[in-house]
Amino acid sequence: MAQPIIEISHVTKIYTLFKNNKEQFLSIFYRSPKLKKHLALDDVTFSVEKGESVGIIGNNGAGKSTILKTITGVTFPTSGQVEVRGRVAALLELTAGFEPEMTGRENIYLKGYILGLRDEYIHTIEEKVIDFAQLGDYIDQPVRTYSSGMKMRLGFSININTDPEILVVDEALSVGDNAFKKKCKDAIKDLIARGTTVLYVSHNADSVQEVCRRAIYLKKGKLVFDGPVEQALELYRVDNPPKTAKGKKNPTPAERVANARKALAEKDKALIKAAAEKKAAEEELAAAEQAEALALKESDPV
Amino acid sequence: MPLETRKSPREWGLATILNEHRHNWRQIYLLAKTELKKTYKGSFLGAGWAVVKPLFTLFIYWFAFEYGIRPGSTVNGYPRFLFMVPAFAAWFFMSDSILLGSQSIRKNKQYVVKMRFPVSNIMSFTLLSRLLVHFILTGVMYGYLLCTGYGFSVYNLQFFLYCPLMFVFFLALSWALAPMAAYSRDFENLIKSIMTGLFWLSGIMYDPYSVSVTWVRHLMRLNPINYFANAYRETFLYHEWFWQDTTGLLIIAVELVAVVLYGSHKYNQLRKTLPDVL
Repeated sequence: MAQPIIEISHVTKIYTLFKNNKEQFLSIFYRSPKLKKHLALDDVTFSVEKGESVGIIGNNGAGKSTILKTITGVTFPTSGQVEVRGRVAALLELTAGFEPEMTGRENIYLKGYILGLRDEYIHTIEEKVIDFAQLGDYIDQPVRTYSSGMKMRLGFSININTDPEILVVDEALSVGDNAFKKKCKDAIKDLIARGTTVLYVSHNADSVQEVCRRAIYLKKGKLVFDGPVEQALELYRVDNPPKTAKGKKNPTPAERVANARKALAEKDKALIKAAAEKKAAEEELAAAEQAEALALKESDPV
Repeated sequence: MPLETRKSPREWGLATILNEHRHNWRQIYLLAKTELKKTYKGSFLGAGWAVVKPLFTLFIYWFAFEYGIRPGSTVNGYPRFLFMVPAFAAWFFMSDSILLGSQSIRKNKQYVVKMRFPVSNIMSFTLLSRLLVHFILTGVMYGYLLCTGYGFSVYNLQFFLYCPLMFVFFLALSWALAPMAAYSRDFENLIKSIMTGLFWLSGIMYDPYSVSVTWVRHLMRLNPINYFANAYRETFLYHEWFWQDTTGLLIIAVELVAVVLYGSHKYNQLRKTLPDVL
């Protein structure tokens, strides 16, 4: 049986929080046990088979970015084992590695070198990358002249066209106008169809269900659920009930009664005020009619 | 493209660094060339500035000693400026290695915090880019020595021994300095502030092995900068073989082993938490 393409075994990640620069300087030579620590991942274990699309869901601070960083190799676990058996394209930091003074074309090669690719291979994908990025003549201009959207498109294009075995996507990524967004989504779907393993981070339930069959729910660094995406999303919804339009949570029954009584009292008050205003207007009308009749009587010569 | 397998085992420091370099030599070379382009891009002279700046420094010292400070003085029988030139060629590389090597990780922070990158390669391509400049400067120095009648000797071949030795020594030193400076700005500032002192404490402008005070003379022996500055003089001026200074050779061998072991240990110790602190 083939080994999983990603294997996370009992991974724990603890960040050290330094109170000041002095603590940070001294830590070069000696790690004091008194340093404050933050537990970002707590004994997380799961594996991903080749070709699977797995969603990673959880609130902010749940550990989603941290687990992705350990998979992409940016950061290392404090304890536990991370095994990744394939080349990763991370659609997370799209513009990382760009040199502003170099042209877009030169940056394709630079980024390629950083990703460990050879000149000959980069040459074969160069035109594909340029076409996808839709930069036109700007490809030969320094990247410092690009807008942030253009830089993102170039970064996306380079990552998506390097034939990765594993694709890590953050759905919050914004890469351009709607047409380009659709193009990016189609490119991701195409990679999925070709059997690329995908890790998909999102807060949007519909989007996760569209892409993934399986989801991992992280809560405060712990893996709470790993299984079918519908069940994972249901658990997530229970922990995070939807909010009302004004940003307030759904009221309890007692709160609803109190709110309804308050609304009724305000309606009664408004009705009393309206009745008083109507009475005043009727009196005004009566007085005006009386004055009119008097004026007519005085002007009649008979 | 070959399939990658990445594990996170506990590794001995030097093994970590060697593994990070395996299959990456061409990438390191290409990034070194790019590093030079990046540093001087946007200027008319471009990478020419890498050579112009040290040559201008040398011109200032020549002027000062030719017309200002003790004109006509000699050291070990050589005109002072001529005595200084080979040592300066070595010093420019050594000071760049210490200063730019220590700043290299922080300067290339995005390779550490935003992507997966073999961090020890950062020090390698940074120092390799300075080595490319060193070759040009040494070439210019050699041309000057030929014009003054001190060239074309078999002893000059020792350059191909001392230069790689110097490169490896200061590369190993940067394995410790770069992560420490990345961890703490105070450490980075400490290195910047000692560079001028280091220049004057080392025998670039004078012969450190002729100092009259005995304990100072012995202490000068322990300074690796003195060893390499003197080595370049032996190669291009004195015309002496490397085995003639057995004490110096022994000291530098011990220091090299110590620097390699300490550098690789420090790198291995700090590498894994670098993305968290940068």
